[in-house]
Amino acid sequence: MTNSAFIEVEDLHFSRGGRAIFRGVNLTIPRGRITAIMGPSGTGKTTLLKLIGGQLTPDKGRVLIDGQDVHRLSRKALFALRRRMGMLFQSGALFSDLDVFENVAFPLRVHTDLPDAMIRDIVLLKLQAVGLRGAHALTSAELSGGMARRVALARAVVLDPELILYDEPFVGQDPIAMGVLVQLIKRLSEAMALTSVVVSHDIKETMSIADYLYLIADGEIVAHGTPASLDTHEDPRVSQFMHGEPDGPVPFHYPAPPFYRDILGADPTTTTRTG
Amino acid sequence: MQRSKTVEFGVGLFILAGILGLVFLGLRVSGLTLGAPSETFQLEANFANIGTLKPRARVTMAGVTVGRVESIDLDTQWFDARVKMRLDSELEGQLSRDTTAAILTAGLLGEQYVGLSVGGDPEALEDGDTIRDTQSALVLEELIQQFVSSMVKD
Amino acid sequence: MFLRLFSRLVASIVRLGRRGCSVIEALGRASIFVARSVVGVPSGEGLRLWLRQMHFVGVLSLAIVLVSGLFIGMVLALQGYTILIDFGAEQALGQMVSLSLLRELAPVVAALLFAGRAGSALTAEIGLMKATEQLTSMEMIGVDPLRRVVAPRLWAGFVSLPLLTIGFSVVGIWGGYLVGVQWLGVSEGSYWSNMQSSVAFFADVGNGMIKSLVFALVVTWIAVFQGYDLIPTSEGISRATTRTVVYSSLAVLGLDFVLTAVMFGGL
Repeated sequence: MTNSAFIEVEDLHFSRGGRAIFRGVNLTIPRGRITAIMGPSGTGKTTLLKLIGGQLTPDKGRVLIDGQDVHRLSRKALFALRRRMGMLFQSGALFSDLDVFENVAFPLRVHTDLPDAMIRDIVLLKLQAVGLRGAHALTSAELSGGMARRVALARAVVLDPELILYDEPFVGQDPIAMGVLVQLIKRLSEAMALTSVVVSHDIKETMSIADYLYLIADGEIVAHGTPASLDTHEDPRVSQFMHGEPDGPVPFHYPAPPFYRDILGADPTTTTRTG
Repeated sequence: MQRSKTVEFGVGLFILAGILGLVFLGLRVSGLTLGAPSETFQLEANFANIGTLKPRARVTMAGVTVGRVESIDLDTQWFDARVKMRLDSELEGQLSRDTTAAILTAGLLGEQYVGLSVGGDPEALEDGDTIRDTQSALVLEELIQQFVSSMVKD
Repeated sequence: MFLRLFSRLVASIVRLGRRGCSVIEALGRASIFVARSVVGVPSGEGLRLWLRQMHFVGVLSLAIVLVSGLFIGMVLALQGYTILIDFGAEQALGQMVSLSLLRELAPVVAALLFAGRAGSALTAEIGLMKATEQLTSMEMIGVDPLRRVVAPRLWAGFVSLPLLTIGFSVVGIWGGYLVGVQWLGVSEGSYWSNMQSSVAFFADVGNGMIKSLVFALVVTWIAVFQGYDLIPTSEGISRATTRTVVYSSLAVLGLDFVLTAVMFGGL
């Protein structure tokens, strides 16, 4: 049961503004595990999460969550499905007109008819889990980036979802906050038997918690496997990314005409036109 | 909680002020009266020319506003203007039958209104009666024409 | 030579067509957007959100609208007096002040001020919510941001602007009274009675209100849609805010001509 697929992405094609972002992505995300999707910036990792969450519609292919085709659901059924998902956004995305407590209580107030006292207990419990029970009366403007992300995490799990999507959870965090987040993601997913999808390019942190990794580049899955198997992968694109080498299949130089032509040729505009 | 109360209070005041403003525009600016229609009675008068008299113009007696013009239409029998007026009900049965109605002008170019003056007939006008003795509006062009033609005669 | 000219012509026609298509597409998106937002008058929780927006959109715009109304009424009386006195018709001052305010100036100027004060703030606020992924996250929680964020703001704008317009007229007429009667010495009786005999409640006050309702709908719609549809960067927000003010001002002035032609122009 724990090994059955919770999310299946089949032959996903997506393009935006005439640029192909995905050209046939296939991946399966097992139930109850932490799966990481990694890749260089600009490869559309966040776009992939939005496709899974049903906010974008693919050009071709489909996304199955627990057997349901996300993009064929009615608006109502999609919203019902989303109640079973939590998503942690890059910026935290706390509602700026609500304080910390109300932010975490928001999904409860919207989706349940629980009495106020019970909402209070649940919210404080979740805030305790992320270590911010003492901050419940602060406004979202008073939080540091790491704290905002932890509050957002509490909000994402307040309805006890089955799936949680993390969009770049480690970006721009100081080492302490990063360590706290790594621990939290790991603990939450184990304690609640959550299926977690982590999109990230922070290799070390992601490797330490992920059960399985997918590596995306150029609109395709270039490699997948356990953290250990990817570390020793032979594909140069994989090893360049995994070991952070500055030059390799992903070139250091932005495509340009040969250097000597730009240097010797008087007019750079003519060289680019011919090149 | 306290803050949301002040917000609600502010919005309540705002809406109340808007409604009061609308009442002000109705009563004070456009001169609507809250009085029921039963407190007025109607008189009619035919004028050969009403000039620029409009519905809702004032009807005065001795300069005091006592009513308003209700409607103006063309009497197709005599081809003159039929003016219906609503007057305060306290005047009902007080105006003599030979009351005269004249269309007057406030200032040289001001609005036109109806002026009533009472006669000496012992019988009084009742609701729906018609004032016989009327005096038309002064039309500037006609005045000038009369003046010019009298000059030519001299 | 001809061939090049021809291909240039074709290219510019293509550009024109593409622009036309994108304008129509944007209009379509805006229509769907407003239709999906305004399903049902807010109630319950929505009412609380609406009240909050009434505060931001309406109450906070009150000061600027009332002060402007006062000054415009005073200027109208001053200007009108100098013109009317030449014809010996200064008694008609009340009529002039009240009719210009009720029919024209109050709806239009209040709408322009509203676009600048509340419209731009709405665009920036919603744009910021979009840029910080609050709208997306709301959607992921399973709440329609159109219902929760957009609808209360649309309704608040729709209710606020007519109220502000009434305030503008009242204060303006009072300003005219201050200058005309208290300062320039027009008789108080003729100021009010002239006004009362010339202003018709439904034709003048009513049509002014209809104008104001139309402007309220258009200005709030533009503001909220620009916020919702912008490119979520700081540059995108600043450009959308500018667009809100420009588009709504143009829409208000253009629509004012059309509405005036229909209402008072005998069309």
